[in-house]
Amino acid sequence: MESTARGLPKLTDSPCRGTSCNRCAEICPTNAINVFGSGDTTKVALDLGSCIGCSLCIDNCPTETIRENRSTELAVRRREHLLLINDHAVEKEFSKEEESPKTNPFGMSLSARVVSTGCSACDLEIGAAGNPIFDMERFGVRVVASPRHADALLVTGPVGKGMQMPLKRCYEAMTEPKSVVAVGTCAISGGVHKGSYTEANGVDSVLPVDVYIPGCPPHPWSIIDGVLKAMGKKR
Amino acid sequence: MIPLVKEVSEDNLVSSIKDWLAGGQLRRLTFVTSLDGKQLAVLLLDPLSGAAELWFTPLKGNSYKSLTLSFASCHWFERAVWDMFGLEPIGHPRLKHLLLHESYEANYYPLRANDLLCQATENDRCYKFLEVKGEGVYEIPVGPIHAGIIEPGHFRFSCFGENILNLEIRLGYLHRGIEKKLTEVDWKKARFVAEAAASDTAVANALAHAIAVESICEIDVPPLADALRTIALELERLSMHIIDVGGMAADIGFLGVSSSMSRLRGKSLEIAQALSGNRFMRGFVTPGGVSLYRAEEIGGIRANLKELANELKPVLNLFRENQTAIERMASIGVISKALVEDFGIVGVAARATDVAYDTRQYFRQGLYPEFAPNVTVADSGDILARTLVRMGEIDTSIKVIDRVLDSLDGNSCSVELPKKLRADMVGLGVVEAFRGELIHLMCTDSSGKIKRYAIKDPSQNNWTALSIAIRNNLIADFPLCNKSFSLSYGGNDL
Repeated sequence: MESTARGLPKLTDSPCRGTSCNRCAEICPTNAINVFGSGDTTKVALDLGSCIGCSLCIDNCPTETIRENRSTELAVRRREHLLLINDHAVEKEFSKEEESPKTNPFGMSLSARVVSTGCSACDLEIGAAGNPIFDMERFGVRVVASPRHADALLVTGPVGKGMQMPLKRCYEAMTEPKSVVAVGTCAISGGVHKGSYTEANGVDSVLPVDVYIPGCPPHPWSIIDGVLKAMGKKR
Repeated sequence: MIPLVKEVSEDNLVSSIKDWLAGGQLRRLTFVTSLDGKQLAVLLLDPLSGAAELWFTPLKGNSYKSLTLSFASCHWFERAVWDMFGLEPIGHPRLKHLLLHESYEANYYPLRANDLLCQATENDRCYKFLEVKGEGVYEIPVGPIHAGIIEPGHFRFSCFGENILNLEIRLGYLHRGIEKKLTEVDWKKARFVAEAAASDTAVANALAHAIAVESICEIDVPPLADALRTIALELERLSMHIIDVGGMAADIGFLGVSSSMSRLRGKSLEIAQALSGNRFMRGFVTPGGVSLYRAEEIGGIRANLKELANELKPVLNLFRENQTAIERMASIGVISKALVEDFGIVGVAARATDVAYDTRQYFRQGLYPEFAPNVTVADSGDILARTLVRMGEIDTSIKVIDRVLDSLDGNSCSVELPKKLRADMVGLGVVEAFRGELIHLMCTDSSGKIKRYAIKDPSQNNWTALSIAIRNNLIADFPLCNKSFSLSYGGNDL
């Protein structure tokens, strides 16, 4: 990632002061952080799938338990892998479970359909991933205009009630095999819209998701990383 | 800004508004809404004096005489009020649901405090498009999901041959319940929701929110914060105008220019990222000032801006001077000055018909109005005029950023906010977003909680202009015409 960019947070081994501090949990705009336990057993749980990358927790952590993550390789295949806990045993268990998809039909190239259900930041970044700077097409990824031509469905935004039916119909119009990529925090969990009366709680509640790309919006490099994961080109 | 709050009776409302509008030049009826369904709230702006008035009209029932009959610009807002509060505008010429579709229960009004006073007559939320009848007339439905990477909305064209007789635009697919969410979250975290209203306009939304909060708290931000806000606002305008002009070139098939513009937009986003750590400058403007400011980046920003300006110049000139491009854009998608005035069209679309309305000239936002550049206008009201206005604004934005960078002064870039908002207050933020006049209105209750938060996005005015501009043009001209307005779906649907 470029030196000037703010990354998403990550957790370190540095011991946390626990609920007596709790500043990160209080300040988080999407309640993505949970601090529990006390003394030596204190744990911090951070849900990257709810994180909007405001970096308030990083700036307000006195023990440096929460630090900036400079990596753009953030996409995962399973929702629970975005739930970080500062406990190495748990992390190892996760990485063991991480596996490539059983079949890998999109190894060489991928045609992607983009459906937006959100505020347009993620859409602009998908657009940017295709511009001459990031040039997603050199990896064999094309954005196509019809679900009939698409192997993967890239969904941005929290999928409120108004878009649930059109999104389902778009998915149904795609031929097998097909995969779904949730692009951005809203698409993963609803982000700042979670729990609203519009039932905007993410793509999961409507379609089965294969790859999750966190970020608000994700950096174009992160989007390319996620699409490559959907193609099985990356683990 | 704190608007003057006044109560006006239902019977006198229309005549009072007419009198008020006649009382001064440039006066505007900006939008109509309600607080909790028991009254109408009308916001009036007087740009020349920089003042605003908020009129409350108590209602006895759940209907009122439609203001649209007297003020055409209210038509879209009255539809939103119907959906959100169940207040029916009697006599509205095209009353249709705007934000809540069939998937919502009938008689569900998310922002209404109490149940309806009497049952609504007809509310099955079904949507009927205007039918254009006649031999050879056919319909083309497009959307809600479009072919490219773009937000969803539905267009229904009624065509005769290749001519578009009528275009009806149905929106609301992106409705995420932002206005209600803003009353539910802690007010110190509300800025993140306000910003998400339309993230291509993140800075302008954050700034309008910040100004509304600051006016309620009665605090002034340090001069450095004002300067940085101005830079951020203009950087956002610059990035979005670059991509919009590039999009015009792409739709014409002028691919050299469009590729260059998408690369150059990347450069302007890099500048934005150097300033704030984020390409969209999200989380940068906060109530009380700005956060995440890094003074050590300013030197690099200045150098990169200069480079960007130099690289933009030949590309823009190539586009401006290409006769094929000019002919493709001229005399298509024309809107008249009268339409702009009647329907309250704002931003680039208004300035392209020689209406020089730019809130930066009148309302306090960042370092404006002191730093306000001359307003860029064109007069033909067509696609070409809108593109030329955008190109002109790219130049002025660069000049403004350059000027502000030279005058950065001080170290403090934020002030502490109070623990609570003041009770029973109304705060207002008016900002010239890259699409035009953006307004955030915030009302607190007796305990200092936000009880109503209303956002008026410039697109809510301008969607009407698009559907009228494309009439009697070819169906093939629609993508170009649509791009030239560059409207927000999310900002409209909220």
